[in-house]
Amino acid sequence: MSDFIRLGRRQLITAGGMSLLLSACGRGPIQSLAEQKLYELSDPLNRSFEQLLFSPQRLAPEFRRDQIEQEALLINTAEDITPSIDPERYRLKVGGLVNRPASFTLAELKKMPYRSEIVRHVCVEGWAAIVQWGGLPLVELLKGVEPKPEARYVFLRSAEGLRSDSGQLYGFYETWDMPSCVHPQTLLAYEKNFKPLPADNGAPIRLASPVKLGYKQIKWVTDIMLLAALPEQIGYWVDFGYEWYGGL
Amino acid sequence: MTTKAPSRKPAVPKQALAAKIFHWINLGSLLAMMGSGLQIYNANPVFGGREGFHFPDFLIVGGWLAGGRHWHFFFMWLFGLNLLWYGIYILVTRRWQNRYVGKNDLEALQKGKNPKRRNYALHRLVYTSMFPILLMALFTGLGMYKPVQFGWIVELFGSWQALRTVHFLTVPLALGLMAVHSLLALQVGQWKLVRSIFA
Repeated sequence: MSDFIRLGRRQLITAGGMSLLLSACGRGPIQSLAEQKLYELSDPLNRSFEQLLFSPQRLAPEFRRDQIEQEALLINTAEDITPSIDPERYRLKVGGLVNRPASFTLAELKKMPYRSEIVRHVCVEGWAAIVQWGGLPLVELLKGVEPKPEARYVFLRSAEGLRSDSGQLYGFYETWDMPSCVHPQTLLAYEKNFKPLPADNGAPIRLASPVKLGYKQIKWVTDIMLLAALPEQIGYWVDFGYEWYGGL
Repeated sequence: MTTKAPSRKPAVPKQALAAKIFHWINLGSLLAMMGSGLQIYNANPVFGGREGFHFPDFLIVGGWLAGGRHWHFFFMWLFGLNLLWYGIYILVTRRWQNRYVGKNDLEALQKGKNPKRRNYALHRLVYTSMFPILLMALFTGLGMYKPVQFGWIVELFGSWQALRTVHFLTVPLALGLMAVHSLLALQVGQWKLVRSIFA
């Protein structure tokens, strides 16, 4: 656990990237406070509403191959540095509240059940792109490691990072609710538009799903950990102030 | 025998308290949603993508994208629930039968000779048409908020871009109607009428 979450939220706030971003956004302290209060008041309602509407078995609309929008999928990363991962040495570690913790090579992941889907990827910025993702449904991976009954959340860590003032790289991370993780269209994708996933889009493995906003779909996934409760740090963008659920 | 002419002061317009509350919340939440909507718009403009036209800061509510979204989703509830209880209210009190534009107003607009009557009919037409626009803003907003759960809304508009465009267009439409509504209210009932809906 400590290996996954190295920083407390307060320490993170002092990290260089945060202060830079906030000053660039020109947020005054009163405005920040007002926005925080509005969020605290309305988010429980928003989240209940979203969870009420969400059905783990209802599929998002899928599209025809000729409807794919090749150029529309923009690349948003926290760092301008694209992690380069040697596919031969890559391992996906799965642990936490599971009976059979494991570590998988890329070849092993590709031998597991495959799903292809052409879905709408929606970004928090408002744009959307129809894209094909191919890969292993996350639910299939989870079945294999046998989650314990108390596992309610999934923590994912990326090879991508945020650089602090001292130049140290902190991992990009995200947490998901279990119903969204076991949705049949939530994939550990290694294919985009019927080609091997490019490094910019998160190769060798990224999370891809039509049921969550883009910032929840983390790239360059290296670790998956099942948890009973949300940790103090619940997501890279979420800790900056975006809503945690981010459902569609 | 004294004959005193009764003082002919025009009656002060009276509005139901419920209508005043509705009006205040509607106006306030609508402005907050417009300002925060422009903040969200600026993250990736509907017209022209990232390099497209951006709105200046003084029109914008919310310090950054996440902040703008917090404003938008807070006032979404206030605005939506306000519209809902008002809908129930006009049904229960049967105001829908005589408060909104009707056949007689449309006839007065086409054939009427009395300028006051025509003005009144036009005003009713304008404020009645506010409701379909507000409902359209909510409807297209719901489609963008939950495109999986309400995939049929996105389909109805043909594409994501068309849905965003219609959602965005409800803003100039609502602003235009608000302006005409205020001007006509001034013409129909002077400042007294305008004041009556707020105070």
